[in-house]
Amino acid sequence: MKKLLILMLLCLVHIAVMAQNAAIHIKGVVQDPYGDPVTGAVVVVKNNPGLGSTTDIDGQFKIKANKYDVLQITYLGFKTLDLPVVNIKDPNNVSVKIEEENQKVDEVVVTASGSQKKKTLTGAFTTVETKHLNAPTGNLSNSLGGVVPGIITQQLSGEPGENKSEFWIRGISTFGANASALVLVDGVERSLNEIPVEDIESFSVLKDASATAIYGQRGANGVVIITTKKGSKGKVRINGKIHYGYNATGKLPDYANAYDYARLANEARLARYQSPLYTDEQLAIIQNGLDPDLYPNVDWQDLMLKDGASQYRAQLSFTGGSDAATYYVSGAYYKEDGIYKSHSKENKYNTNSTYERYNYRANSVMTITPTTNLSVGIGGYLINRTQPGSTSADIWNAFSQYTPLSTPRKWSTGQWPIVNGKKTPEFLLTQTGYKTIWQNKMETNVTLDQKLDFITKGLSFSGSFAFDTWNSNTITRSKSPELWSAQNYRDGYGNLILKREQTIQAMTQASQTSGTRRYYLQAKLEYERLFAQKHQVNGLLMVYQEENSDTNLGSNILESIPKRNLAYSGQVRYGYKNRYLTEFNFGYTGSENFEKGKQFGFFPAFSAGWVVSEEPFVQKLAPWLSFFKIRGSWGRVGNDKLAGQRFPYISLISETPDAGSSYNWGQFGSNHVNGYRMTTVGTPNLTWEVATKWDLGIDWDLFHGLFTGTIDYFHDKRTDIFMKRNNMPLSTGLADQTPMANVGAMESYGVDGNIAFNKRYGEVNLTLRANLTYQNTEVLDMDEAANELWYRMSRGFRQGQTRGFIALGLFKDQADIDQSPSQDNLANFPIMPGDIKYKDVNGDGVITEDDIVPIGYKNAPGIMYGFGLSASWRGWGLNMLFQGAGKRDFFVGGNGPHAFHDGATGNILQRMVVEDRWIPAEISGTTATENPNALWPRLTYTNNSNNNRNSTFWLKNGRYLRFKNLEITYDLPRKMLQHIRMQSMRLGFVGENLFTWSPFKWWDPEGNNESGNAYPISRTFSFYVNFSI
Amino acid sequence: MPALMAGMAFTSCSDYLDVDKYFYDQMTLDSAFSKRQYVEGWLSNAFEPIDQLAESDGITRFLSDDIVKYDGHDLQNGNYSASTNNGRSEELLYKGYECIRKASTLINNVDRCPELTSSEKEDMKGQMRFVRAYAYWALLRHFGPVPLVPEEGLDVSLSYEKLSLPRVPIDETVNFLDNDLKIAARSLPLRRTVNNMGHPTRGAALALRARLLLWAASPLMNGNKDLFNVKDKQGRQLVPQEYDEAKWAKAAAAAKEVMNLGMYSLYTIEPDPTTPDYERPPYNAEYSDKKFPDGWADVDPYLSYKSIFDGTIQGSKNPELIFTRTKTGGGQTNYWVKESMPRTLSGNNSIGVSQKQVDAYLMDNGQTVAEAKQSGYYREDGFTTSASALNEGGAPFLPAGVSWQYAHREPRFYASIAYCGSIWKCLSASEKGYRNQQIFYYRDLNDGKQGFKEDCPLTGIGFKKFVNDEDAYTTGGYTIDKTEPTFRYAEILCIYAEALNELTSGKEYSIEGYNNEPVLVKRDAAEMRAAMKPIRMRAGVPDFSDITYNDPELMRAAIKRERQVEFLGENSFRYYDLRRWKDALIEENQPFMGCNINISNDESRVQQFYRPTVVASMPKVFIQKMYLWPFTTDELKRNVNLTQNPGW
Repeated sequence: MKKLLILMLLCLVHIAVMAQNAAIHIKGVVQDPYGDPVTGAVVVVKNNPGLGSTTDIDGQFKIKANKYDVLQITYLGFKTLDLPVVNIKDPNNVSVKIEEENQKVDEVVVTASGSQKKKTLTGAFTTVETKHLNAPTGNLSNSLGGVVPGIITQQLSGEPGENKSEFWIRGISTFGANASALVLVDGVERSLNEIPVEDIESFSVLKDASATAIYGQRGANGVVIITTKKGSKGKVRINGKIHYGYNATGKLPDYANAYDYARLANEARLARYQSPLYTDEQLAIIQNGLDPDLYPNVDWQDLMLKDGASQYRAQLSFTGGSDAATYYVSGAYYKEDGIYKSHSKENKYNTNSTYERYNYRANSVMTITPTTNLSVGIGGYLINRTQPGSTSADIWNAFSQYTPLSTPRKWSTGQWPIVNGKKTPEFLLTQTGYKTIWQNKMETNVTLDQKLDFITKGLSFSGSFAFDTWNSNTITRSKSPELWSAQNYRDGYGNLILKREQTIQAMTQASQTSGTRRYYLQAKLEYERLFAQKHQVNGLLMVYQEENSDTNLGSNILESIPKRNLAYSGQVRYGYKNRYLTEFNFGYTGSENFEKGKQFGFFPAFSAGWVVSEEPFVQKLAPWLSFFKIRGSWGRVGNDKLAGQRFPYISLISETPDAGSSYNWGQFGSNHVNGYRMTTVGTPNLTWEVATKWDLGIDWDLFHGLFTGTIDYFHDKRTDIFMKRNNMPLSTGLADQTPMANVGAMESYGVDGNIAFNKRYGEVNLTLRANLTYQNTEVLDMDEAANELWYRMSRGFRQGQTRGFIALGLFKDQADIDQSPSQDNLANFPIMPGDIKYKDVNGDGVITEDDIVPIGYKNAPGIMYGFGLSASWRGWGLNMLFQGAGKRDFFVGGNGPHAFHDGATGNILQRMVVEDRWIPAEISGTTATENPNALWPRLTYTNNSNNNRNSTFWLKNGRYLRFKNLEITYDLPRKMLQHIRMQSMRLGFVGENLFTWSPFKWWDPEGNNESGNAYPISRTFSFYVNFSI
Repeated sequence: MPALMAGMAFTSCSDYLDVDKYFYDQMTLDSAFSKRQYVEGWLSNAFEPIDQLAESDGITRFLSDDIVKYDGHDLQNGNYSASTNNGRSEELLYKGYECIRKASTLINNVDRCPELTSSEKEDMKGQMRFVRAYAYWALLRHFGPVPLVPEEGLDVSLSYEKLSLPRVPIDETVNFLDNDLKIAARSLPLRRTVNNMGHPTRGAALALRARLLLWAASPLMNGNKDLFNVKDKQGRQLVPQEYDEAKWAKAAAAAKEVMNLGMYSLYTIEPDPTTPDYERPPYNAEYSDKKFPDGWADVDPYLSYKSIFDGTIQGSKNPELIFTRTKTGGGQTNYWVKESMPRTLSGNNSIGVSQKQVDAYLMDNGQTVAEAKQSGYYREDGFTTSASALNEGGAPFLPAGVSWQYAHREPRFYASIAYCGSIWKCLSASEKGYRNQQIFYYRDLNDGKQGFKEDCPLTGIGFKKFVNDEDAYTTGGYTIDKTEPTFRYAEILCIYAEALNELTSGKEYSIEGYNNEPVLVKRDAAEMRAAMKPIRMRAGVPDFSDITYNDPELMRAAIKRERQVEFLGENSFRYYDLRRWKDALIEENQPFMGCNINISNDESRVQQFYRPTVVASMPKVFIQKMYLWPFTTDELKRNVNLTQNPGW
């Protein structure tokens, strides 16, 4: 370290000495292609960035240089311009025009091996400009859906800290242990969610095998590569952003009020020939709210949930540097509040769900010698969260269970209520204590890059070391006041008759810590050279080793062993005149999870591309075809994550003293000998899951950036998916000890792509863009009993296929029931007219489990798409994004959709009250209500096991289209900013999730929740100010 | 700097993924056979299913025509199939093959244990071969042909198609087991110490072999054309379609080898001098004066027989006991006691014995009931009085108030059957009122049918075998530990006689024995007599006549009846015998008869109680397909190469 400092000092001295030789004073103006002055362009003397300046608001600059120096003018988004001083005629009046960079063609993509021109790629890559990831959310994963072609996302909760999306590259392609993509942040496997988008330099997605093969056992599900910002040479630049948002509570199920609830409860009872629950008198009391103790009417959602909560974000970064070193330093703050109301004045603490995060990052690159760079990066966060004392699942269950009529908030005598063992949402939210969660993470990188041109031209070496730690600390402080239940009548004096069900519990504390630690070490040798201006040759050899350990070890020795990978990988690329491109990648990667001698796997990939537009005859015939490439790839990638337990190749034995496993020898069993038995049957020849991937794609650019696009067809076949063998024939003698094996197989295939249209109309810059990902799957082998009925098997169907009975409407009348196949063994009530009628698929005359068939699609969407437009006019900007998902079905059920699902504790939906439901003529007085096509079956007070089954009746189409994002920005005029010495300032409004169109209207369609009882995904309205100095 | 670190770290690459050090002290399959304690534990665990595997703990005990218990209702009614509640088949396959796998694993791995001597290893391997054969045998007689697992085990990562073992022909499995048990017999010791009872001995292996070979020789599996369509997926017939008399010879030779060990004999007790003459078998000139085994002069038949089962003679001292399952100690046997014991005496009062079984017992003079009815020695009507028991020529063993039809029966009857009015001694009961109680099963009595609740012996005839005079469940009571008779010498004698009887007269077979010495067998009346006569003498009934011994038909019938009587309630013998003999279609299709438990103790009608009546709640159904049990639908789904038994 000391040597390093000395080295740095020496460099600085050197720069100072150089500065003495200045001779000519140059003044000038920098303009863009339209003649407008460019503010903030960096003008430096080449190879001497210490002598630099930036252009002012009028595009003017002043600089001193030697006669034989070269001025270099750089500005983001424009081509770097070199201006030799000798070429300047009038040093006092220099006019420089810089040209826009044609990004679409020369775009550089960060790939597994480093960075590469997009033009020469042969694999399936997607890069996303970070400005498109700029959604007002704390988690980057929420910005991916509909933006990144090839990514399918699903957000399950809106709770602060939990409101991130699951995402899969090209959908879920395996039913094995790990379907998630590998995320590399600065080359190391890390989480992407907590990174502030402002810190991100580039975001690439590697989708096919040619792109991911070098990750070997880790690359099967695709790779996301994120690099964080490095410093740029020049004066210090300060960027800041302050952002305030309001998260409006998302769409929740609408439950019926007390009166409707009571009315329908009576109907449900009568419909099954049971006595009604409420007399007419009681109904009148309920309707008029005369007895708020025994017949209350509480809207629990209204009582406990706010209309929205605030969200706050701020970010500040500094960047700058010289030839000797550049730096990027940033800090960010993010805070989000939950929508829970914490009524209770008794609490001195907050029981709302909150999330607060501090991010920091410092990246610096030091030039040690002209051929040696040392980069040091550090990044991380601190998170503080609070949560109510009860779990989110309990709270939201309570909303769906606890009826408006169950109990009041508190008995009028002051006690907290309980009914049938169920507690009120208010109680769970405010009276059970609170949780604090504290997390920190630190990620460090050190990288040394050394050019080895002295060995052979084009050779370079890079070595990196990374060390990450993550810790989490949860403290749960729980308590409970007394809980009282009431008789549903009053004593002679009209007082409530209360009974204490639970005694007071003073606050107790439990804490839980967990953490992870990761070491990563990598060495890389690269070769890149262009021979004779046409033979482009690239080579790469890489070795890395990685160790992950859990710091919360527990008592299981096997689980506590660090997870380790060791990999050798490489790449050879050859391109002829940028026209014919070929590439070979391989990974020879090992995992500690497998038997000695079988730890390594070889994963090759081949790809090739033909840039049609580079052919001379095409350039002649179709000059409008700026770029057109056809590419294809084939390769194998692995997945070493195993479900269940680790090291399943080892057979484990344990002692079993219980009578079921041991034996008593000796006369009358006096001599007990403990049994020893295999508790884990080791799997011989255990290996990794293999993905064999094909990809065929085209990239195009017509009329020089007017119309660009990419489209890919992909096919991914997984074999050797590791799973428990649950259908061992008994004759193997292994039925109870279920070994594991690499037996599963499935394939997935689909299309992804994006198109964009860019055009400038006068002062209006317009971009229209759209993308789509479609994926379908077929399970080839899921280790099922070999002779199972074909339609009950997973084999031949989608992974995650929804299954249920086929509903044929509602039974018309008793004759209909008598003539139909018997449903008696599904039912807990006699089947009656108005109950759901199912199809006898196998024709055996009875409805059984064997009549359950694949229906619908699956829970995770099969299609995800997005389209949007960006437009700018002078200082104004407009961005719109629509995002949608399709090919998705899910079942509704439980409290809410299924009437009176838990009897007395089971809410009903308001739509059940108003929509067409089957009501027996004896109750409604007219047979018109006996509609066999009604939306709701004959009611039952409690769970009806005939009606409340997964069937087409309850299957809902989960497709949706969202107005996902609207952003309106205004850049303040530069003249105005000059006075306050700012370079730029932007005011913006962003709306997120503004509107959703879906055939499913009961609650937000995106999550998987069958009852809608989960923290909803919010709508966000936010404003921000973005400035740079 | 990173380069330096990289250099240092990457040097240890070769070991980077090595996790063996963590497993060093974990118990893996390798280490499981490194210590004596582990191996003994493994052996212990492998023996564990032996109760479930077979007779002593199965519903089949109550499914034949001899004993009835309400639990067996559905199966008695033929109310079972491959898909309906058929836990028995699923459980048997599960336990059986688990046992087979564990046994094979030990056989394949025990040689690695450095702490065992080679003779200990051989002993353990022999024990595992025994238990493996036992499991196979349990599967065979239940399902017929079954899959045979390779001895070296299966690669668990294979596809289900490859793990789906097909059923193999009966002969293949039987030959494998025959050979395996020979190996076991050679390596097992002749005797075990008392503390090691339950471990099989050479005799046990040979006895199991005899039992297995007898089954394979029997009509069900020997040229049974009815089972022509038990086939595998390739259409190969699995039950031999050609009758092979040599199989009987093999069974006989196997039994003979047990006899040749010279270790076993029938257990007898000398009569107490105070035993009154009328409780001795009626005087028979040929037997009464000769000593056992030529006569019963020195035998108390009632006590000799009873003592084997009621715990009076401990297994370790019983020369007749070849093998016993000690896993639950006396528990399995005492189950019978608890179930049989009348409710009045805090038992479960649940086991009934059929009229057919009662009628199978001979009269004390050796006549059958049918013969005695003709001769008038058998009285259907009337009841004993307090005087009749004491009178010579009266009703020995019987207290007052018992139907005369239970009088003058052979001693095994009194040791086994709790007829209406029998006395339960319960001597350990501390309250006098629970000792020496006479229990009746008349309607509305505490132990009879009450209202419509048939919570009583459904036949009005109880079961008493295995009950010790001291056993009691009331206050202060205890039960005597009993030795479960898995294999006893009497069975070997019966096997020998039965197998010899099936050989063509004059034809002699030379069968290679377990120690490679030939065993010669032929149909020889004297040999058969030598086997059967001791059983008869111990039971106090005259031996079969020469005519019987010389006539295979008569002899066969006699042996069947002898097995029915001698082995009542042991090992589900009757259930599997009826199948083995192909007699079930007749015997188990007859209505299940007993006393009329709807009759109360009303003087005018009480005689009606004893009129043989159909047990209405136990309609018997037996059809051809039931000779072999169905494999469960679930197993057929899992095992693609498994073929269902015909008719299911």
